[in-house]
Amino acid sequence: MRLTLDILQVLILILGAPLVRAIVARLKARLQRRRGSSVWRPYAELFKLLCKEELVPPTSSAVFRVAPMVLFGATVCAAGFVPVVHASALLGSRGDFFLFVYVLALGRFFLSLGGLDGGSAFGGMGASREALISSLAEAPFLLGLVAIAVLAARADIAGMVAWTLGQNVFNISAVHILALTSLAMVTLAETGRMPVDNPTTHLELTMIHEGMVLEYSGPSLALIEWASAIKLHTLLALLIALFFPWGMASSGAAWGIAVALLLYCAKVAVLMILLSVIESAVAKLRMYLVPDFLGVASALSALAVIFTMWMKR
Amino acid sequence: MLIGPTGAPFVLLLVVLGVAVPLILIASRAQSARRLAITLILAASFAGCVVAVFGFLGRSAPRLDLSWATPFPFSLALDRLSAFFLLLVCAVGIPVTIFAGPYFDLHYSERRRNWTWGFFSLFLLSMIVVVTAATGFAFLVGWELMTLVSSGLILIEGDSAERRHNVFIYLLMMHVGAAAVAACFFLFLPYSHSLDFGAIRGSGAGIPAGIRAAIFLAAFVGFGAKAGIIPLHLWLPRAHPIAPTPVSALMSGVMLKTAVYGLVRFAFDFLGGGPPWWGYVVLLAGAVSGLLGVLYAIAEHDLKRLLAYHSVENIGIIYLGLGTSLLFLAYNAPLLAALALIAALLHTLNHALFKSLLFLGAGAISSATGTVDLEELGGLQSRMPVTGTSFLVACCSIVGLPLFNGFISEWLTFRSFLAGSVLTNTKAQVVLPLMVGVLALIGGLAAACFVKAFGVAFLGRPRSAESEHAVEVAVPMRSGMVLLAAACLLIGVSPGLILRPLASLVQGLIPGVGVPEETLNIARIMPWIAATVLGTVALVGAFKRRKRIARTWACGLPGLSSRMQYTSTVFSKPIRFVFARVYRPDRKIEQLPADQPYFPVSISYRSVRTTSYERALYRPFVEVIVSLAYRLRRLQTGNIQVYLLYIFLALVSLLTFLRFQR
Repeated sequence: MRLTLDILQVLILILGAPLVRAIVARLKARLQRRRGSSVWRPYAELFKLLCKEELVPPTSSAVFRVAPMVLFGATVCAAGFVPVVHASALLGSRGDFFLFVYVLALGRFFLSLGGLDGGSAFGGMGASREALISSLAEAPFLLGLVAIAVLAARADIAGMVAWTLGQNVFNISAVHILALTSLAMVTLAETGRMPVDNPTTHLELTMIHEGMVLEYSGPSLALIEWASAIKLHTLLALLIALFFPWGMASSGAAWGIAVALLLYCAKVAVLMILLSVIESAVAKLRMYLVPDFLGVASALSALAVIFTMWMKR
Repeated sequence: MLIGPTGAPFVLLLVVLGVAVPLILIASRAQSARRLAITLILAASFAGCVVAVFGFLGRSAPRLDLSWATPFPFSLALDRLSAFFLLLVCAVGIPVTIFAGPYFDLHYSERRRNWTWGFFSLFLLSMIVVVTAATGFAFLVGWELMTLVSSGLILIEGDSAERRHNVFIYLLMMHVGAAAVAACFFLFLPYSHSLDFGAIRGSGAGIPAGIRAAIFLAAFVGFGAKAGIIPLHLWLPRAHPIAPTPVSALMSGVMLKTAVYGLVRFAFDFLGGGPPWWGYVVLLAGAVSGLLGVLYAIAEHDLKRLLAYHSVENIGIIYLGLGTSLLFLAYNAPLLAALALIAALLHTLNHALFKSLLFLGAGAISSATGTVDLEELGGLQSRMPVTGTSFLVACCSIVGLPLFNGFISEWLTFRSFLAGSVLTNTKAQVVLPLMVGVLALIGGLAAACFVKAFGVAFLGRPRSAESEHAVEVAVPMRSGMVLLAAACLLIGVSPGLILRPLASLVQGLIPGVGVPEETLNIARIMPWIAATVLGTVALVGAFKRRKRIARTWACGLPGLSSRMQYTSTVFSKPIRFVFARVYRPDRKIEQLPADQPYFPVSISYRSVRTTSYERALYRPFVEVIVSLAYRLRRLQTGNIQVYLLYIFLALVSLLTFLRFQR
């Protein structure tokens, strides 16, 4: 029963991911007074890309074709760490948040290599910028999670969620607010969203993620697109699980899970609306302002860790 | 005197490396003699591995006493800690020796080849003596031999003025370090009355706090100079890149680790931990070395210098673990101290494996293309697939990505930082969890650096004719690298193999602790993570994909040239820009002719990372020493009567000292 539930959660994260991305795009379109495309279009697009043939640059090596697979494998693995409807996760009982963050880093490392293997200037540009952003995003990401882990006295994400579930909803501390802010900022940076990166553009002055994947096509591109959608969904689910877990099913009963699932959808909807508002309202930061953005996130998360000292007693 | 069933192979190991191999190489310059010597080195290293594994698992502890033949007590013994480091020396020694065969043949003349192999063998021996020494004398002999033989190996490679200057700095720093190490031993002497390790260990607890602090500081400086912690790292990026590549692999992979061995031996085994400030000192040294090491590495485009700076970074990570462990010991949390010490020791082993692999990869690149300058490389993965794949494994390991060995030790370090939050001391309770951020930043920057190193060297299109026509290196060189890569993967996927004996080793150093739960957890979860990731990859890979070769998108222009790719320098530009205060680059732009700014014939631009703080740190020392030397020169009059007076005065003062000593 428990195992079924855990697998269900991973499936929700993986299969629901394109939908999340599409809804955000649709909401953004509406905010910009456009109609936007159907929310089911990403599924059709993934299917189309998977059926197509793949164009490979003549200078590239095996790394070019392996990189999207490793990215996808690592991202799917990371999805196994995050509770969605129940305070447990497939890999979350022994695997802790360090493992989660580093599994995501594994995928990103290979994607950057794939970007460089194309042999064009764009791939290098994207990989170089990604290297800057991801190297600076790692510290606030981990410190934000450390703050919660110190409060919960657990290091596994499922255990941290279970601890939060046991707390009073109104008992929100400064640590939670600081950690939430910094993790939300990191989520924007990690998933290549405004104001750090623009997911909709192919303009060389602004692109980071799109620069790396410019040479990819067909099934490889499908894997990369799907993986980045899973990453976005997983990180949103992580924010929900760590900071707003209330409503998760406490037992394996079917109706409890149904309620939890509905609540989860509502919470994700709120985050999606927030994300689309941010993306429509905020201009993209200049490249060299991104370190300041992440510096603020690091400072907030460091403060969160320092404040845990007073919260424990 | 000889005890233990593995005593015979241990003696064989020493005799073969120290006597047989050099003698064979002196006696004959024939190819067959060299073959025999290489085979003997391999056999001895293998025997060493067997002895070490038995010792590491606690089955047998040979002891060899040669005091009857030497002026001072000289004995070697193998406890678990020594056995662990012996394993490290021998396990890295085997693949490096396999690699070095064709490498030396390719790069050296007949005569120099024999010298190189003889020194190579002695270099291995010296490191073995250091880690198995059971008396202060044996330790110092090995320590000195290690420095001298390695500088000999650097000088065999070439003899330019610059190289001599670098070797001079190397020798200077090593001897400052050696003096501090010798001081450590002599500070023990009034309490232990002997330099035997057993006696030193027994006296550790009864020494007054001031002397203990002095011993710790001397050990910190002495071993820190060898380990290359910042600011004592000055020699490291100079000496490592100019050594023959297999020797660089040994120097970076193994020789630096003897310093870690020394620090663990003194701080944990002899002194049994100390007050909290010891921990903070080591932690600070680790954080500074880690961050500055990786930042300097990113700015390099000479692959070997880049790797040398990464050694500084990784020693920093090891020191972070050691410092955390000392802190936990000081605050009476032995189980957590054990966890942090396991993390540090495992990272020592991991770094030995992946760093020697990286240096061997650099050697393979230089054999195939004649250069290790990243700006000249590119596209090597499809030309040298085995080298490339092994190098990629090492890159993933050093970055600390899951499924590779570097991750396991970094994870354990992270967990011991996190565990710091349970301490009751307010300062440590906050400082340790915050160190997670420091280690994460180090890891993130290392990832950026190795995306650059691997991506620029092995991916994309070649940037020079040499790398365009590069071919895969000889089979022994490849197999040396594959062996190391396999070891990295094995530890990464199944860390339980090494963690269990390491836990027993640490139990010997920190008495009365159990096995930290985290080590069991990571050993259980890693196979599952590997299965999930690789299973998904296999599932996706099984999917049939049609592919077609098509030109890279060039914005509609006729074609791309290799000059349009990102280079190593420009790849790291954003990071160098953000951390500009660390580098303080010294830029110079020259335009010719100077009076026509808009139509220049040539523009030259150079940008050098300044080492202003290094100069500021070292200059006062150098000035004091030089001025002292000038003053002392006045004593040297050349007049024999004055010298006789000196001898007389020395004698009188010694006699007076002895009279009033009681």
